[in-house]
Amino acid sequence: MNLEFNEDQIDALREFMNVSIGAATANLANLLDAFGTMHIPKIEICNSSELSQKIESTIDIGSMYYATKQLFTGKFGGECMFIISEESARNLGRHLYNATTPSRDDISDAVIELTNILTSTIVSRLTQELDTQVQFFVPSSQFIDAHSIVNSEDVADYSKIIIISTILDFKDQKINGNIYILTKDEAIKSLKILIDKKIEEIYG
Amino acid sequence: MKILIVDDSKIGRMSVIKSLKIVKPDAELFQAANGLEAVEIFKEEKPHVVFLDLTMPVMDGYEALKHIMSIDKEAQVIVVSADIQSEAKLRVLVAGAKNMYPKPINDEKMLQIFEQDLLL
Amino acid sequence: MEIKYPDVLLDSLENGHMIIDDKFIVSYWNRWLAINTQISKEEIIGKKLDEFYPNINYKVLYRKIKTALLINTPSFYDTNSNVKFIPMNRNKVTTSSLMLMQQQVTISPYIACENKVMVSIYDISELFEAKLSLKKEIEKVNKLNDKLEADQEIIDRNIMMMRTSFDGVIIDVSTFFCQFFEFKKDFILGKNISTFKQDGGFSATYKELWETIRNKKCWSGELKLKTYKGEEKWVQSRITPILDIDGEVLEFSAVYHDITNEKLLEELYITDPLTKLYNRAHFDEVVNFIVKHQRKTDTDFVLVITDIDHFKSINDTYGHQIGDEALVSVANTLKDSLREDDLIARWGGEEFVIMLKNVTLDEAKTIIEKVRASVEKNKINGTINATASFGITKYILGEDIKKTFKRVDDALYEAKKSGRNRAVLK
Repeated sequence: MNLEFNEDQIDALREFMNVSIGAATANLANLLDAFGTMHIPKIEICNSSELSQKIESTIDIGSMYYATKQLFTGKFGGECMFIISEESARNLGRHLYNATTPSRDDISDAVIELTNILTSTIVSRLTQELDTQVQFFVPSSQFIDAHSIVNSEDVADYSKIIIISTILDFKDQKINGNIYILTKDEAIKSLKILIDKKIEEIYG
Repeated sequence: MKILIVDDSKIGRMSVIKSLKIVKPDAELFQAANGLEAVEIFKEEKPHVVFLDLTMPVMDGYEALKHIMSIDKEAQVIVVSADIQSEAKLRVLVAGAKNMYPKPINDEKMLQIFEQDLLL
Repeated sequence: MEIKYPDVLLDSLENGHMIIDDKFIVSYWNRWLAINTQISKEEIIGKKLDEFYPNINYKVLYRKIKTALLINTPSFYDTNSNVKFIPMNRNKVTTSSLMLMQQQVTISPYIACENKVMVSIYDISELFEAKLSLKKEIEKVNKLNDKLEADQEIIDRNIMMMRTSFDGVIIDVSTFFCQFFEFKKDFILGKNISTFKQDGGFSATYKELWETIRNKKCWSGELKLKTYKGEEKWVQSRITPILDIDGEVLEFSAVYHDITNEKLLEELYITDPLTKLYNRAHFDEVVNFIVKHQRKTDTDFVLVITDIDHFKSINDTYGHQIGDEALVSVANTLKDSLREDDLIARWGGEEFVIMLKNVTLDEAKTIIEKVRASVEKNKINGTINATASFGITKYILGEDIKKTFKRVDDALYEAKKSGRNRAVLK
């Protein structure tokens, strides 16, 4: 099966992800008791080797980041990654823990919680539509520089990777981060089938 | 009846149009892919109803809503968005929208919109 | 409602499972928890978890419960923290770096309308230990690498080293090598090693060197090389062939040590300051070595002694300076007309001694006759004629060198007596 998406398919996938991210944003808004500004999600289909460069191009290379990765497995399996700058993460920790100087552990816990909510909401919605189930694994967080977030040599060798990314943006709390949903071959196929079904429903 | 549908996503617009064809089959439909286009068309065509998305490039829904309301304070705007935060709803209602619905809109909701929300 | 099977299942698991609500009241406590906490099911069910474990951060736990119920998927408690959820002792005695169990705590939604969740505790100590020891090893390796890099830097700055391909193309040189030979590294790389050889690499030393290393053996020895500006340098060298897996020469690695100063001192020690020929001490040493070791290749030589005729009268007539010039002139004539392998030394006063290697007496006579003619022909200071007399004899295998010298002295005496400016064979 061809893993490329045409314009209508990309449009439909973006719209579908937009709705999922809307649900995730609402859940986070609930947790943080704050209002999140939504941004248009970006859909990119690339080769494994391009992944690190794609991610580095969306963030400030000079900063340190909390990079949290969460695995989900099943028919629709992949990885959700949440990247938040040190400062934003500190603001998040401060906000969530009600502390002026949250500890590294507090911050780490806060970003993990955020990632978990994001992943769970977005992926659950997808899998609900796909009529399949996934298992979520414990997110793990690392405090690293921009270059170390994705090590090109470590990226699994899939023919295609789909990157669905958007910005999490809580302006008043000065919390913002990048969300990436990474998935590959098999899952891209299921996504494509789902999208075609949606297109069929709407366009008739 | 003139109806303007504003969404950067084609499938987003089509989904609204699909229900409109059932609920208002005779309406004359206009489409805009961002807030700026929407404001232009609104000035020109004076549509009776506007279905407005929020997250859009060039000019977002909040901004477009403000412009539309300043052109015509009686404008009938329904916001249809992926944003389901109650705060978002509060903001658009304060700005003058008649109501806000989460995406996607189905026929039943469309009917409800025309029966309950809009003053036509 | 009593469900038997889940009990059996949950009790057989090797991790902890409890069911609590958002007020932390425990409604289920599996066997693993009872064993690891020493708190029985009967003791804790119906009670609040904080009565038993007041140190848990209940504010955070509450949030996690709410999150799990809200998003209807598991949430995770404090996965990175050093703070334990429920502290449990580990019973491992050997090879343990952890006293307390490292836990992973998952909060799964159970009955949403009753705000009930299942809290699962997994023992991830082994994994954690593996991570810790891996981290320790990585730190060690990093430290070693740093040291290695520092060492390499020291070596690079203080030792002359070179790597060449099997056919002598320079692959790499140390910074110190470049400094010493006044070359830019970029200039050297890719050039052939012959760039540095004093004589283009045709001498016996180079022949021996190439033969040795081509035969996959190390070669050590002294080499005379030239710098970019053409200055001569002596280096003690060790050249090692590097073989590939098939045992064929892949590259050569060479380490050099500057011995130019030692060489100069050594030369000074064995050189006659006026004539720049070897001095008597050096000649004695060489001859004694040959006689002592009696090696076949060395012992085949002809001994020649020559004396400038009427040297005293040259000195008296023209002064010492001209006398010295006469000595230098004769010395240069000798050097120029003999082979490089022949050993020439100033024997004392106006006398010189020569060792002609691998020649017969007849050949020696012919050679010396030419030398004599050259001395006669060359005018000292452009005007003064000088001649020399020669005594020639062959070293007889195994004989005491004193005897050889006696014979050659006799021959010279005869040459003088019979009219000078001639060579006599004995």
